[in-house]
Amino acid sequence: MTANSDASAGDSAAEGQAAGRREVFQYAVRRFGVYLFTLWAAITVAFFVFRLVPGDPMNILLGNLTRAEGRQRDAAAEEAIIAHYREIFGMDDPLPLQYINYLRKAILGGLDLGPSFVEYPAQTKDLVFRRMPWTIGIFTTSVLLAWIVGTGLGALIGWLQRSRLSQLAVVISTLLQITPVYLVALGLIIYVGYIWRILPAGGPYARHLQPEWTWEFISSLLTHAILPMLSNMIVIGAGFTLGMRALMISVLGEDYLTFARAKGLSPFTVLKDYAFRNALIPQVTALAIIVGATLNGTFIIEILFQLPGLGTLFVQAMGLRDFNTMQAVVLFSIFAVLTLTLIVDLALPLLDPRIRRTA
Amino acid sequence: MPALLEIRGLSAGLQGRRSITQVVSSVDLDVQRGEILGVVGESGCGKSTLATAIMRLLVPPQVLQSGSMTLRLKDGNTYELLELPETDLRQLRWRHLSYIPQGSMNSLNPVLRIERQMTDTLIQHGLSREEALKRSIAALEMVNLEPRLLDSYPHELSGGMRQRVIIAAAVSMRPALIVADELTTALDVVTQRQLLQELAGIRDELGATILIITHDMGVVAQIADRVAVMYAGKIAELGTVNDIFESPLHPYSQGLIGAIPRAGGHRVEGLPGEAPSPWNYPAGCRFHTRCPHVIDRCRAQTPALLPQGDGRWAACHLYEPEVLSNA
Ligand SMILES: Nc1ncnc2c1ncn2[C@@H]1O[C@H](COP(=O)(O)OP(=O)(O)OP(=O)(O)O)[C@@H](O)[C@H]1O
Ligand code: SF4
Ligand SMILES: [Mg+2]
Repeated sequence: MTANSDASAGDSAAEGQAAGRREVFQYAVRRFGVYLFTLWAAITVAFFVFRLVPGDPMNILLGNLTRAEGRQRDAAAEEAIIAHYREIFGMDDPLPLQYINYLRKAILGGLDLGPSFVEYPAQTKDLVFRRMPWTIGIFTTSVLLAWIVGTGLGALIGWLQRSRLSQLAVVISTLLQITPVYLVALGLIIYVGYIWRILPAGGPYARHLQPEWTWEFISSLLTHAILPMLSNMIVIGAGFTLGMRALMISVLGEDYLTFARAKGLSPFTVLKDYAFRNALIPQVTALAIIVGATLNGTFIIEILFQLPGLGTLFVQAMGLRDFNTMQAVVLFSIFAVLTLTLIVDLALPLLDPRIRRTA
Repeated sequence: MPALLEIRGLSAGLQGRRSITQVVSSVDLDVQRGEILGVVGESGCGKSTLATAIMRLLVPPQVLQSGSMTLRLKDGNTYELLELPETDLRQLRWRHLSYIPQGSMNSLNPVLRIERQMTDTLIQHGLSREEALKRSIAALEMVNLEPRLLDSYPHELSGGMRQRVIIAAAVSMRPALIVADELTTALDVVTQRQLLQELAGIRDELGATILIITHDMGVVAQIADRVAVMYAGKIAELGTVNDIFESPLHPYSQGLIGAIPRAGGHRVEGLPGEAPSPWNYPAGCRFHTRCPHVIDRCRAQTPALLPQGDGRWAACHLYEPEVLSNA
């Protein structure tokens, strides 16, 4: 043996692996800590920001009451009513106390986020839960589908970067990516929904139906979901395609790719194990980032397609300065986004043995 | 005995917008069976381009321009490398022809274990899983690496170990020819010496032929049997290590030998000026801008690589018969 150092080299590799596992665990713990902190920070910011929006929900509430009763009240009575509601909502407490109460109820009170101002006494939590499946359904499905399609397509056009078709695909994706999602949605609504009348372009399901477990209802639900999801998918998918293409091209220039070819591996193996596998890692990270950045697009889509999701709820609540509801929507959106991001981030070490001190 | 690899008039260049810039110009080279042939030259003279052209691994903008390469295997099979379709080439690679690329520390895929990267090729070349594993372990032992390294990822290994893994991978199919580009450049002197010894051992054990490409005359002196000195994309001189180190013919070889730090630590004599890049290779003899012995015809005529007896070749007007007779 010429090299004594190599006998110990094997040991250090084994130690390296054990240390690696330890570090992955630490990474997961650290990542979870970051998750909790971000969640708290987001709740806090949302709490204070919405209270800074001008406009008093009480006046709006009063207006609603007045309209319901159909008669005018004198000023003193109005004062009394407002005082009564301010009391119920705890709005006379100093802001820090309100904040602490809010957190306390939210955490200890089983996600008690307070009643809705305008739909009092309905709990905002219930409002949100009722709307959430729409948003989560459309959002998650369209982002995931867009990611899968975009990743596959991007890998392909990156691999075939010099072909005409690839170059055309790049131009098209770029155009789609820079188009605002509402334009795509409007285009689909106008052309597919109204001019060609291929698919329904408004509402959650056909108006004459009731939610129930029948094929008629479910198929109506699905056909109504196609256009909203497609709007989201086109824009997000184009971004994923371009991203994956760039990643593929940079991986194709790596030394290990030349080496893989030199080894006489089949092009398919090179593509699968050496190019795609490696480009996939940053592409998964991109998924985590996009998840956060595209939720607002989904809200816009809900509004355009008149879907009863969180986006429409938020807009309604915003008009009425219903802090509690707005907060709850934001809270749940942030929770959903952060959780998806957390899942993606925790999946990364499985894909990338190098991930260690990066969190 | 015919050469294992016969390279004739090999030219390769870089595809520009309008024209091709030639990087390697009509290289003639015979790689003899069982030898270690060093290709040496300054950075940028086209060594790697030559190596990748031999492997047919040029990627755009690099393009092959002309030439022929004949590989004659012991089993009697002869291949015209430049005419082989990609699928046949794949069969040839690793089985008969393996390649250790420049910067091969980065030649391992960071996300696959060593085992996968060593065995996938073997399996694709028809070996069973167990057989592939056995061969990989044997190959690792040839470069003094522990078999359990197979479970590691590249980032868990030192640079020297990674380099050894690459060598092991390259020899695992017992190829006839190994092309190794700047094998030791990034390594410390001790590791470098060990690696070269191991490579020489592999040559003896497998009877392989090795084309080793380097800018380091020290490496050539340590391991090679013969040397091809390259300057600006052309072979300037070819001969045994002894001949070239003892009595270099070509003025460029003389300069290179002079540029090696000697035992005393001082450079005897350096080369003035800088090597030209492919975009401004001088006309005539490409070395004439730096040559201390330049004569008139050097600026106009390109000297051919001519035999100088005893298996030596030089491309310099000074050694052409009519110049010699005039002197
Ligand atoms: N893909 C490429 N794109 C642009 N220029 C290139 C490319 N490949 C090679 N060249 C140029 O061709 C010339 C020869 O390059 P090559 O890599 O063959 O040199 P080398 O002798 O191996 O140098 P080194 O000792 O630095 O490895 C250099 O001037 C280099 O800049
Ligand atoms: S041909 Fe002329 S310029 Fe070139 S090396 Fe010989 S003497 Fe020098
Ligand atoms: Mg090189």
